[in-house]
This record gives sequence, structure tokens and C-alpha cells, in this order.
Amino acid sequence: MIPRRLEAVRPVASTIHGGYTSSTEESLDFRTRLLRTLRAVEPVLGVQGVLIAGSEVPNLLQPDAESTLVVSQDVDIAVPVQRHAAVKARLTELRGLLRAEAEPSVWLPQSPDLIEVNFIGMDTGNERPGETYVLEDSELPLLVFAHLSLLRPGKALNVEGLEIPVPRPSGLLLEKLLTDRSAEKGDRDLLVALGVLLVSEPRDLEELETQYRGLSAELRYAVRSGLSMLSLLEPRVQMPDPTPHRALVAGLMARLERLEQDR
Amino acid sequence: MNEALHERARRARERALIRACEYRQRHYANGVWFRFRRVLVDAAEAWIIGDDDGNRLENGGRVPLPVGRELAPPIRVFFLSKEELEAISDRRQVPARLCAELLHAGNLALLAHAGVETAKYTSIACTSATPRRK
Repeated sequence: MIPRRLEAVRPVASTIHGGYTSSTEESLDFRTRLLRTLRAVEPVLGVQGVLIAGSEVPNLLQPDAESTLVVSQDVDIAVPVQRHAAVKARLTELRGLLRAEAEPSVWLPQSPDLIEVNFIGMDTGNERPGETYVLEDSELPLLVFAHLSLLRPGKALNVEGLEIPVPRPSGLLLEKLLTDRSAEKGDRDLLVALGVLLVSEPRDLEELETQYRGLSAELRYAVRSGLSMLSLLEPRVQMPDPTPHRALVAGLMARLERLEQDR
Repeated sequence: MNEALHERARRARERALIRACEYRQRHYANGVWFRFRRVLVDAAEAWIIGDDDGNRLENGGRVPLPVGRELAPPIRVFFLSKEELEAISDRRQVPARLCAELLHAGNLALLAHAGVETAKYTSIACTSATPRRK
């Protein structure tokens, strides 16, 4: 994969819009906070199979993890349920973060130079395939999201000496297009999918096709539905603008529809 | 037991059930939004045109897209070439998204992205049932 800088919609003046930070300086600062947070959780990132998931991945996939998109002020760490014990054993090594009492899967920053960390579960071993469920644990309970099972480990990024495990774009793209959230959160998921699409290479899209073929008819329809919504979204501050990329989305839609005809 | 996580899991499962239901209903009224969005995905530009131009196009053999008839009130939707579009003087561009302005249109002229095959949308004849606007 060749890293590309993602152009985000620029904010007007120096306002705060919808909870997004807005100036370039703050965006650069966000990169620092993101990387410092990942360094704080480095012991966990070393557990095999653990991946950074969610909206920060397109930030990290940019050249030198430039982090031009400020989608949310937290980072998701996907833990394979099979590696839960190994991750739990390393929680004592985390620095600068404290487990939230009310929500033990959330770790809160103890200083403003860090961001919140959310541990979420992925069931790649198909122990409970296609199901969203809670993995109970007093120290590290996990909400295991069904579609995170689509994530496959990609090549770890090395940013300033820090090894960051990220998923392959194809699985992340599908997972985000399958968002079943609505309104603002759903739109953000779809714009994250766009961010991933924009850093994807031809071979990533071939891989996406292979994964897409393996989905149920219902999920394939949901992927196409997600793409159609993405194409029609309005620009949002600090997110990639879908407008100039609508032809790209239409092209991907056509590819997926051709796969439907081949079935 | 972590009640908050269980509540989020319950909501996620509920959304999955709704999606499954929507999938089963996709060929019916509920699916029209996907079908309409799908058409707009292929549109690089969307223009509102008048009834007279809509009638002229239809009388000239242009078949409105079936999905437009599924809406109430119906919208006559045409994919046009750039030349055909430019020949219509009374036209107003709207964003290619499900905004109020577009949904209130009686007639829509769409310009497809380069390379998009639009004949697929008119493979089902729908000339007689489309109400004409006066």
C-alpha cells in the first residue's frame, strides 16, 4: 500500500463544528496525541492479532500517519477473543490511562496529551459467527462486534519507531460500509470507509471483492446500500469530502454488482 | 455483569434484525430508497427540469426510470447526454443527494459519470403508467 495524504474538508475560520476540532494546528496536535496514546498502550499492541480498528486507521495509513481527519477523540483497539487473556495480562503495563469504573472496556486519559482508548472484541475464530455479544470479564469485558470478524491483520506500520498493527484495507472498508448506525455516527462510519477507499490500492479492491463474495446475500446488499449512502453524503468538516470521489464510489458499486451477476 | 455493554449489544442485535427485515422487504416499497439512491450514485450531475421538457423527452421516446414512479408524488427521472441536457434552457442544478430540493422535483435530468452504462435502468418499459404533469 502506498500511503496517501487524505484531504479533509477545511473548517471555516477557527470554529468548532459538531465536536470536531478545527484548525490545522489542532489536527497536527491530534496526531501527537494519537501517537502518544498508541505508545502508552504499546504493550497491548504487541499481542499477536490485536489491531487498531475504526476511524483512526485512515489517519494512520496516511504518509507518516499524518492524521488529517479528526473523526473522534478516541482510538479503538480490537482484541481477538482468543487473545483476551494475553491482552488482560498486559493491562498493568499501560501508562497514563485509567480504566473507567462504569465501563471497564474504556480507558480514560490521565492527561490532555492522550486520548481515550476503547477495547472492543473481534471473533475471527468464528466461535459465535455473525453475532454481536458481550465477553464478560471483571477486568476487561469486551463488546464483540459481529462485523469486526472481517478484519485481517495488515502489514504493521512503523511510525517514529512505534509498531502499529492495522487491518488490511479491504476488511476495514467492508466493516465500515456495513455500519448499522444511523444519522451522524453512521455517516462518520461511511466517511471513514471513504478514507480507507482513498488509500486503497488495486490489489486491496481485488481482496475486497474476494471477501465480498464470501458474505451472505443480506450483507452484500447492506454493503451496496452503504456505498450508495456514502456517495450521496454531504461534506463534513475534518472528514474527506465524498463529492469529488463520487465517480470512484460508482465504479466500486459497479464492480460489486458485476459480482452479483456472476453468481 | 456489565449492563452498559449488554445494552449496547442488545441494540446492535436489534439493528441487525431491522436490517434483515429491510433486506426481506427490499423488493417492496421500503426498498425504493436504495433503488433511488442507486440511480443517483451513477449521476455526476442532477438537474431539475420543467414539465414541458419532461413531456417533450417522453414524447420523443425517452423512457423515465421506473424508480421515479415508485415515489409519491412520482418523479420523472431521465439520464441524458451532455448535449441533450444543454439543449434544455429551463434547468436548475441540484446536489445529487436525497435533499428536499431534489425530492420535490417533478422531473429530474441526470448526467451520468463517464463510462457508466445507464440503459440498465430503463430495461423495464414504463411509458404508459407514468403520470404526465400538466
